Amino acid sequence: MALFTQSFVITLFLGAIAAGIPLLLAGLGEQLSEKAGVMNIGLEGMMLFGAYTGFLAAWASGSPSLGFIAGAGGGVVVASLMALLCVRLGLNQIVTGIALTLAAEGLTALLHFVQFSRTYPRLDGVAPLPIWPLSEIPFVGPVLFNNNAVFYLAIVLVVVFSWIYRQTHLGAALLAAGDKPAALDAAGVDVMRTRAMAVLITGALAGLGGAYMSIAVAGVFVPFMSHGNGFIAIVLAMLARGRPLWVLGGALLFGGSLSLTTALQVAGIDVPTDVIQMLPFAMVMVVLLVAGRKAALPQALGESFVRGAR
Amino acid sequence: MKKWMIETVSSTALALALVGGLGTAALHAGEVKSIAILTPEQGTDMGWNQQGVDAAKAADKATGVEVVVAENLGYGDVRPTLRELGEDGASLLIAHASGYNTAAPEIGAELKIPVAIVDSPDKLAAGKVADYTASGHQGAYLAGRLAAKVSRTKVVGIVVSGEPPSWNNMSVAFAEGVKAENPAVEVRYAVIGPAAYSDAAGGKRVTETVIASGADVIFGQGNGSSFGMLQAVETTKATDGGKAYFIDVIGDKTSIDKGFLLSSVVWDLTPVYTAMIEDLKADKFGTRNYDIKLSDNSLSLLKTKNVPDDVWAQIEAIKADIIAGKIVVEPKYDAESVHKLVKAVQ
Repeated sequence: MALFTQSFVITLFLGAIAAGIPLLLAGLGEQLSEKAGVMNIGLEGMMLFGAYTGFLAAWASGSPSLGFIAGAGGGVVVASLMALLCVRLGLNQIVTGIALTLAAEGLTALLHFVQFSRTYPRLDGVAPLPIWPLSEIPFVGPVLFNNNAVFYLAIVLVVVFSWIYRQTHLGAALLAAGDKPAALDAAGVDVMRTRAMAVLITGALAGLGGAYMSIAVAGVFVPFMSHGNGFIAIVLAMLARGRPLWVLGGALLFGGSLSLTTALQVAGIDVPTDVIQMLPFAMVMVVLLVAGRKAALPQALGESFVRGAR
Repeated sequence: MKKWMIETVSSTALALALVGGLGTAALHAGEVKSIAILTPEQGTDMGWNQQGVDAAKAADKATGVEVVVAENLGYGDVRPTLRELGEDGASLLIAHASGYNTAAPEIGAELKIPVAIVDSPDKLAAGKVADYTASGHQGAYLAGRLAAKVSRTKVVGIVVSGEPPSWNNMSVAFAEGVKAENPAVEVRYAVIGPAAYSDAAGGKRVTETVIASGADVIFGQGNGSSFGMLQAVETTKATDGGKAYFIDVIGDKTSIDKGFLLSSVVWDLTPVYTAMIEDLKADKFGTRNYDIKLSDNSLSLLKTKNVPDDVWAQIEAIKADIIAGKIVVEPKYDAESVHKLVKAVQ
């Protein structure tokens, strides 16, 4: 049977998007958080908790839309702890982030055990929103213009964040919160509020990314299902050098690499699976070598802000 | 005075050594009061983890030994849990995940407690380490014969969430079964990712791709990720417009099936754990590997309503031939064998 049919190629591209969108959402969030000076290592936990709350709401209500909202809300719940502990109380951001991730893993596994471990309910999927007539274009149409609402939202967010960072006072305040928080404070802007807001938006985006995984991609929730995507998103955000478009490129590159590895395996390419499986990570390393050399992180990244402290 | 001190210290040291030695000897020679099993995910996954927990509990009933279950430990460092269970008095630590193969022997040696690990047949150590690389190859061979019989598109797929030896073994046997039934049937193979055991999203994504490549029967091996595979089969039509079917491994997902579960290579590790406990009592632990097989029903192929009766009768006949030794299915644990065979089948 011929392998590279139109439907096979379209499925590969859709697979790349399915893998890339959660990374894009979480990566945009992490980028925002880092710009404001908060290293959000708890991203994985926010994604996982969003995956759980999103799935729970979608399953209980029968509405994927409510599920996505609940997923974002779940991410905000975890992020609010991050904001309280790191921004307000000034605890170590790395340690707090790891602790929140571990707590989210344990809690979601426990909740899953109580609710779903005997029945494993599955969702029917998310209906696409075709953009006619673009959706009729061969290959490109079914992939880019016949997708679900979260996909379009993620793409729009790239543009919105680019505009905020370049054109608005809010963007300038975020940059100052990460680079010169004392200067921002002297200018009369509340540094803690700025940072807390950034962390909460990060939580919403990571939670939405997690909900996308459980509702739109897998259609099921299982423990630990975020599977390290939060950490990959952190890497993408750091490589993107503050540019949302680069996060988009990195996420699609990683998702595309995953699809390519599947295609190579299905085609029976005579290369050890381990080598093929390295492809997405090797791609990231290449990007790191090319782009990361000039990467500049905010000067106050990871440092808690104490008013008046030198 | 000096002589008295030397004698006292020597006597005390000798006494302690004897007590310790006797204690250890007693531990190895029969006083098996409790064992502990550690699993990376919950024992309710209708697969690997549940089989481990259920079998340990069944072995508990069969041997009268108390079983302590430590589940949902994840895939990270389990040394603290191993140490805690060992210090709590477990006479045997069953590390039910290939990711625990380094930590378990290490802590076992530290606490002088025997450990059982998986996927490491060459690490046997008398009194210390036993391996139970369960070989479901006979059942997987039957699954391959079944898949080739029912496939309409004449393309079947294997999706795995990693390449541990026991799964390679079943992948090889499945492909051999397909080839034996109908050499014209193509086998397509894809690994979700390195140790992607809980990657349900990846499971669905990869399975959709394999179905789009023409497969209408998917032989899936994964823990949590197998639910993503099942979901893909339920929501994706085969390239001929008909249903795609799923063949699971280790557990029985009949209770949550929506009409797409064709079969499962079901394992029962109860005889394995029971034999381990008996060997521990007889001071023979770590002197042999443990296995599952069709002949004692520790390995079986699940009959679902989606398998036609006439096809099942043929499968039963093949099973009888395997048990009788007329068909020999050799275990092959390395990934290279899988890749070679899949290419050969194509």
